[in-house]
Amino acid sequence: MNNKKQEQSDAKRAAAWQGLALVLVAALTLEATSLIQYYFSRKGIEEETLALAQSELESTGLRITGVMDQVETVLQNNVWTVRECLTRPDSLKATAIRVVEDNPVIIGSTVAMVPGYLRRYPLYAPYAVREADTLRVTSLATADYDYPSQPWFTKPIESDEGYWSEPYWDEGGGNVLMTTFSLPIRDKKGRLAAVLTADVSLDWMSEIIGDIDVYPHAYGVMLSREGQIMASPAETLVMQTSMREIATRFDDSVSVSDLARSMQDGQTGSTSIHNKKKVSHVFYAPVKRAGWSMCIVVPHEEIYGNIERIGKIVLLLQVLGILMIILIITATVLSQMHMREIADRKNRIENELQVARGIQMAMIPKIFPPYPERGDIDMFASLTPAKEVGGDLYDFYIRDDKLFFCIGDVSGKGVPASLVMAVTRSLFRTVSGHENSPQRIVSTMNSSMSESNETSMFVTLFVGVLDLLNGHLRYCNAGHNAPLLLSGDTAVPLEVASNIALGILPDQSFCEQETDLKYGEGLFLYTDGLTEAENESHQLFGESRMMREAARNTGLPVREQVERMQARISEHVGSAPQSDDLTMLVIKYMNTKEPDAAERHLILHNDIQQIPQLASFIEQIADESGIDQSLAMSLNLALEEAVTNVICYAYPEGSDGLVDIEAIIRHDRLDFIVSDSGTPFDPTEVAQADVSLDVNERPIGGLGVFLIRNIMNEVRYERKDGKNILYMTKKL
Amino acid sequence: MDVNIIENEGKMSARFIGRLDTAAALEVSKAIQPLLDNAGKPLEIDCSEMSYISSSGLRIFLTIRKAAAAAGGKVIIKGMNPDIRQIFMMTGFLNLFEVE
Repeated sequence: MNNKKQEQSDAKRAAAWQGLALVLVAALTLEATSLIQYYFSRKGIEEETLALAQSELESTGLRITGVMDQVETVLQNNVWTVRECLTRPDSLKATAIRVVEDNPVIIGSTVAMVPGYLRRYPLYAPYAVREADTLRVTSLATADYDYPSQPWFTKPIESDEGYWSEPYWDEGGGNVLMTTFSLPIRDKKGRLAAVLTADVSLDWMSEIIGDIDVYPHAYGVMLSREGQIMASPAETLVMQTSMREIATRFDDSVSVSDLARSMQDGQTGSTSIHNKKKVSHVFYAPVKRAGWSMCIVVPHEEIYGNIERIGKIVLLLQVLGILMIILIITATVLSQMHMREIADRKNRIENELQVARGIQMAMIPKIFPPYPERGDIDMFASLTPAKEVGGDLYDFYIRDDKLFFCIGDVSGKGVPASLVMAVTRSLFRTVSGHENSPQRIVSTMNSSMSESNETSMFVTLFVGVLDLLNGHLRYCNAGHNAPLLLSGDTAVPLEVASNIALGILPDQSFCEQETDLKYGEGLFLYTDGLTEAENESHQLFGESRMMREAARNTGLPVREQVERMQARISEHVGSAPQSDDLTMLVIKYMNTKEPDAAERHLILHNDIQQIPQLASFIEQIADESGIDQSLAMSLNLALEEAVTNVICYAYPEGSDGLVDIEAIIRHDRLDFIVSDSGTPFDPTEVAQADVSLDVNERPIGGLGVFLIRNIMNEVRYERKDGKNILYMTKKL
Repeated sequence: MDVNIIENEGKMSARFIGRLDTAAALEVSKAIQPLLDNAGKPLEIDCSEMSYISSSGLRIFLTIRKAAAAAGGKVIIKGMNPDIRQIFMMTGFLNLFEVE
């Protein structure tokens, strides 16, 4: 048992591990697949973003350098003009005006002379500037301005080439962000003569930078050579703050400073910065001509948001899927365990049923033939318990040449029914041990069972007592099926009062019945498991089928009678399961002394004067049976009393009637049967004489029956077919 | 069935001869009338020749005994054969009579 349990729990564990392994493999496969997918998708997006940002940087840079080219070209084109009229200050002024007039992109222009070049004017710098729609010309050669020391003047001279200034706020020119392109001009002799400039508004740059729309929330930032912010969506920062200053405001200041340095160094690349738990990706590239640097900032969310969301959803779905697989496997394992438990329970119940069956079978006689030494009785019985075990029982035994037998069926099934069955059988044995009347056996059993019947179970029972000496059968039925009387080649139900089953009403009265079995006659007793045996289409075996089969088999030995009935039932039932216990008991009565029995008859009229004829009748019987004189006299006396009763009481005075006297002579007993067709009169009911009374109290009558009872071993009255029949037996 | 009744010196003697069955009882019950009439006198019944008795016969004996009891007489039964004695015993009649 323990090994079995161990094996079972091992099997359970193995099943659980198998399930778990399955889940793990499935989960890993899924996870790996989606990780690979995610990795490549992300890489693709990264590459795409980089390409997008680079092309945006490039195109923006091109647009900026386009503007710068335009400005530079304008100034280059005017170099010759300026050189030609270096000595004519008015012409120089006109050139500045023309430059502004002809080029909408140029706001202001000056031709600033190197100090001392013109003898007349130590400082000369006419400045044309566009204000609203008009053109104004002023001079930059003022005392407080000191143009020769301004960077736009000195830087190009130092480098001897065109120079783009750092952006600046032109406060005089209407608060516009400006930059100035300066070009040094030498005279025909190669002497440095003047610096030609063009002021350019950087408004367009904000527009270009604002046009960056690679992602909805992406924005551009333009840095000057010095790291000043030239263009940015946050306009308050423009020309107010350097990138390095801004870096200090970031959570991730190191990355931002590094970024600023890389941009100022004119490098191209990308990096990520963190601020307020948000990540942004920055792509940057220099605007070569001016020495500016431009970057595009894209929030991480915008690039990777979708794929990360999809990734999360996929992950969630996978987790859900795995959870469901785990759930399904757990449920499967649990249900398998549950099934196993049910199977265990079923086994246990079946074991209990087997115990019940054991109890049942141990209680009933099973050795057949039960009385091989007796020639007068043969019996065979079978009890086939149903799978569920009903409470069928039968029992029999012989006491004082009487066969006590019973057959019964306990209501209900299973262990309780078999226990009640055991109790019933014990009661039958106990009560019938000192009681010859089936009616009293049944009544006593009923009282006993009704009193202690807490489970409300009841028992149908048929109890019979068969006198093996003369075939006289007394029986009492308590709600059981009527047995069949087997006689010749007929099998008909024995006439039984159905009465009520045992264990229901403690005070129930039961009626006793009787009959005589002749040589070769018998009984077929059964329980309803026989008549109610069902086939697959729920048709019952039925009584008529049973009676036909029983009638067919009356001539056979008892064992064969039962076996043939069983075969017929099996044939009917087929493969349908047996639903109730099936019990059969066949009793065959064969008085072996019957063949040498002799019968003698005497018929008398209802006349007292015929009574002396009895004497010669008895004498004849005494001769044949060899009984002595005094026994003959006693029998004569008993018979006379019986006949006198008939003459005196059965027939009204004056009417004519007959008394039939039959004597059966056997070697061990004499049977007398006195019958008449008179009015019903049961002499056994007459009050018997009290022989202990004294003379005065002693009544005159009542002695006849007393004498009969004292002389005969058995006296029995029956009213049958309109006849009074008195049976008397004298054992020899 | 014969019944012989003799009166001698104030004593009554009766002899029952034969079978005292039901058929005979009617006749005998008439024949014993003298005994009932003289119930006060001592009575001796000789049964040595009575071969059989039924309950009707017993009833006659009881009638005689009751009459004697009423008149203060007594009844002695003589010579019963064993079978009849057995019947008397069985029915308690032995206790009712003086049996010799």
